[in-house]
Amino acid sequence: MTLDALTQLGPEFMLLIGACIVLIVGATAASQRVQWASPVALVVVLLAILATWRLGVPEGDTSIPGLWLTPLTYYVRWITLGIGALVILANWHQPSESERGEYMAMILFSLLGVLLTASANDLVVLFFTIELVSIPTYVLIALSRQDARAAESSVKYFFLGAMSAAILAYGLSFLYGAAGTTTIQTVGSGLSVAGHVTGAPVSSTALVGWLLIFAGLAFKVAAVPLHVYVADVYEGAASPITGMLGFVPKLAGFIALIKIFAAFDWTLPQSVFWLVWIVAAVTMTVGNTLALIQRNVKRMLAYSSVAHTGYMLVALLVGPVAGEGPMRDGVAALLFYVAIYGTMNLGAFAALTAFKTGQRAVETLDDIAGLAARAPIAALGLAVCAFSLMGFPPTAGFLGKLYVFGSAFSLGESHPFHQAVIALAIIGVINSAIGAAYYLRIVSTIYVRAEDAPAAPASGRPVRWCLAVCSIAMLILFAWPSQLASQARSATVALHATPTRYHAVSEDPDAANDTSPDDFDPGH
Amino acid sequence: MFGATEYLVLGSILFALGLVGFLTRRNLIVIFLSTEVMFQGVVINAVAFARHHEHLEGQSFALFLLVIAAVEAGLALGMVVMLYRRKGTLDAEAWSLMRG
Repeated sequence: MTLDALTQLGPEFMLLIGACIVLIVGATAASQRVQWASPVALVVVLLAILATWRLGVPEGDTSIPGLWLTPLTYYVRWITLGIGALVILANWHQPSESERGEYMAMILFSLLGVLLTASANDLVVLFFTIELVSIPTYVLIALSRQDARAAESSVKYFFLGAMSAAILAYGLSFLYGAAGTTTIQTVGSGLSVAGHVTGAPVSSTALVGWLLIFAGLAFKVAAVPLHVYVADVYEGAASPITGMLGFVPKLAGFIALIKIFAAFDWTLPQSVFWLVWIVAAVTMTVGNTLALIQRNVKRMLAYSSVAHTGYMLVALLVGPVAGEGPMRDGVAALLFYVAIYGTMNLGAFAALTAFKTGQRAVETLDDIAGLAARAPIAALGLAVCAFSLMGFPPTAGFLGKLYVFGSAFSLGESHPFHQAVIALAIIGVINSAIGAAYYLRIVSTIYVRAEDAPAAPASGRPVRWCLAVCSIAMLILFAWPSQLASQARSATVALHATPTRYHAVSEDPDAANDTSPDDFDPGH
Repeated sequence: MFGATEYLVLGSILFALGLVGFLTRRNLIVIFLSTEVMFQGVVINAVAFARHHEHLEGQSFALFLLVIAAVEAGLALGMVVMLYRRKGTLDAEAWSLMRG
């Protein structure tokens, strides 16, 4: 590892150094100086974007132990830092000034975790980076406001997060045991040799590991059996940080899932396939159904976040086997969708942040009634984000859904489960229609209903800029999606280049044997 | 001496005990203690696999797991103090403002 290799991590170092400076200065400086925390954090993120742009696309660089810099890293750097800058704008005035330094530092640490998750090439590093994403979010929720509900939601999120981290780590230890290595690039070949020896496609140790990893990551992405915390956490935390919670842990969780699926080369046993299928179907349906009965907009968007996880799981299940391009490659569609979802979700929460009724933040449908009459531009921004979440043209949310379900429909007949995947995509389309009901309720409330308790503008300009950028981006990305889509497409190239199980077995079993001498299966 | 399987069984017993404790106990400190027990089960698992494969990757995994467990312990204590100052109790049932 040379200094030259370390410059490849420019954006990550920017965030790390910036976060440390903001944290230390924020904790020690006089309170009138701490209001500089938000601009400094924004500058740090912009510098990291500049560094990403200067470095260009890494070509599968493995010179740094534990990391593998691929086009996926490049894509994730762009979307994380871009949406990260918007998150900082949304949180510009958020906590009281005495805590703003720590707060901004935690946002930067969490973004750093996402960047490193995309580069992780080691199961241990992957676990560390996932925790680096999560642990600052627990602190962020507790700091975000003085409300007792913030404390409660922070504790609920933290305890369930600690449990899911233990489950994830347990799964990773089984996967390591089955493959005999912690390097993700060679886990696949390690497993294939193991499978080759026992004659089973995947050893039962690896399968146990896979199931536990999926359970642990289901918490991060808010998939169904582990979605129970979502509504309480979203309601308890302050609106602007909720916009971040919908994006950052979900992105990190899906990147980790993509890496684990790629290690198994998307050849899952039938039982595992049906498990993901059922989780995806139930996640969409439960999310949309529970969102329908909410009157609190934050809880509604929380369940909508669960439903969107279901759509993304469809794309994950399709995987890269159907071919290239977002209409075929499920992973590219997933990466595209998660960027779109992060932006529109943040936009909706930025709109809620921009208003208050009396002394409290806007939360329920009654609070936003008749908003369009008082603040037409902000209401238009919220409406654009709601239409985008619904998947209605001309917004980028429509393209996201088109790519996700298009990838499912383009699965060829040679795929053993293509009928099941198409059935799942149809369930997804029906769910999108159900989901339209509650998004339309938000839009009709702000435009049609007369106001009961007038909502007054709150907080300053940066939140409005955030809302404006999010909603305009949704319209622009509908008109010109090719740049983002082609980046998402090239991000999956490295996944195709992963040494796959079948290649390793057929081409050079001895080379793979060196890294993993034997199969471990306590059941035999 | 024991083979790897016995250690894996020990690890799974610790993990299961932790999970049961997490789901059934009401005191926040005991709930957190249960997640620590789960982490120790994982640590034993990682070391057992390292012994089986006769290399050190699993042992370094175990060391890093302890770091994460320590970080979470620090955060948990901070939260417990914050909650106790607000309500004067650590009963998990006392914290249910949000339902539905």
